[in-house]
Amino acid sequence: MADDTRDDPNRVWPTGLTIREAEELHKHVIDGARIFFVIAVFAHFLAYVYSPWLH
Amino acid sequence: MNRVSTSLMRSWARAGTRFLPFADAATEDLPLARLLRLSLFQVSVGMALVLLVGTLNRVMIVELNVPAWIVGFMVSLPIIFAPFRALIGFQSDVHTSRLGWKRVPFIWKGTMLQFGGFAMMPMALLVLSGGGNAAQWSPWVGWVGGGVAFLLVGAGMHMIQTVGLALACDLAAPEQQPRVVGLMYVMLLMGMIVSALIFGTLLVDFTPALLISVIQGAAVATMFFNLIALWKQEARRPSRGGEDAPPERAPTFRDAWHSFSAGEPGAVRRLVSVGVGTMAFSMEDILLEPYGGKVLHLTVASTTKLTATFALGGLLGFGLASRVLSRGADPYGLARRGAMMGVPAFLLVILAAPFDSALLFALGTLAIGFAAGLFAHGTLTATMNSAPIAQRGLALGTWGAVQASAAGVAIAFGGAMHDVINGAVPQYAPAFGYTSVYSLEVVLLVATIVAMSPLLRRSKAAPEVTLSASAPALP
Repeated sequence: MADDTRDDPNRVWPTGLTIREAEELHKHVIDGARIFFVIAVFAHFLAYVYSPWLH
Repeated sequence: MNRVSTSLMRSWARAGTRFLPFADAATEDLPLARLLRLSLFQVSVGMALVLLVGTLNRVMIVELNVPAWIVGFMVSLPIIFAPFRALIGFQSDVHTSRLGWKRVPFIWKGTMLQFGGFAMMPMALLVLSGGGNAAQWSPWVGWVGGGVAFLLVGAGMHMIQTVGLALACDLAAPEQQPRVVGLMYVMLLMGMIVSALIFGTLLVDFTPALLISVIQGAAVATMFFNLIALWKQEARRPSRGGEDAPPERAPTFRDAWHSFSAGEPGAVRRLVSVGVGTMAFSMEDILLEPYGGKVLHLTVASTTKLTATFALGGLLGFGLASRVLSRGADPYGLARRGAMMGVPAFLLVILAAPFDSALLFALGTLAIGFAAGLFAHGTLTATMNSAPIAQRGLALGTWGAVQASAAGVAIAFGGAMHDVINGAVPQYAPAFGYTSVYSLEVVLLVATIVAMSPLLRRSKAAPEVTLSASAPALP
């Protein structure tokens, strides 16, 4: 990474990301959490069908 | 990273340079250790492939007693996504990101899809088998659950491979590309072979709990491999035009496709030859082992060795192709020679039946693997070489779409054709059903050779292009 990014006032340290870059990463994290929530609900439903709470 | 592991990795890399055939792929820009790390995404794809078409296929039929037609349907579901590879590759070409990443977000999404699919798959399979309490529910629950799980894994797998290959193409200098292609193929094969052995050993004493831990273990392994493969690979290109510039209007898929198919002469012809050639080389896929068993009366152990022979032929083919192409051979010429070699290879396999010779059969199988390796390597290298830099994802996506769809259709068609012919003329069964499929493959190979010749003449007409065949034809 070039040296001039160190002096860029838009960058927030220690990560060196701008707010918009950080927001994009955040979007990926949130999307991932949503997808896994849906998959987890579906998997729990299937597990319930196979063996209702292990009874 | 501490000093010990740094020096350990250095010594691994040095050892690799000495013992691996692909060491020349490592230059200052892309060291071997980094290239090997990137190729781990192919290991995760190979693992998913083996699990879907090999291990789970068998587990569902033998251990879980799922009807064969449902198994066939579930296993073929991922093929639905193959044509979308072109679209995925295109989207990764035009992806605008504040972080300056084009490929990483897609490989990451693909990884999450494959992980999610594997995470819920064991429960879906157990419900599908009607075990436990599941018999009290409508069978639709199992069908939908299994379908969603297989679709997620298939979509993830195609996404990871398409965009991963585009990333490899981005990272490698043009003269490195033949070696990179070879390494990617070898890692896919290794991933398939090693995970087939591991899954086979783990699932010996089958219990539902074991199935859950093995498949979910594969999910974690996917995440693990792809994270390591991606770490610090793609350079960030901060957004063009600064922080607050409005995003550029991305070209539509239609625009991109027009400029792609018009930009390079023979783009469509190349795709057709890839499709026909791949069909020719994959139709026998599920028929070689039963042919050895039923017609040549080989034992199960020796037909399993046959699969190893086939893979060995493929490895030799990839190795030779990497060597020849990095010295500047014409990739089309090599692919065409692979198709030419396939003709006598299939004839050997056909002749094995009248001569009742296991040796002819083994030789033929080895030669088919070798020829298929040359063909696949040659066509992929040609695709990488001729892809315009801005359309690499689209070019590799289209190649993958054609290749994967053709292979899927050919495997299904080969199986169906064998059944129909052996049913229609039972007096010649079982050999005739198999040999007629192999004969059709010979015909398709001849068609491929004919279809490819204009591509060859075109590059011969411009000798300077042939000499530097590994350099990109056009920026």
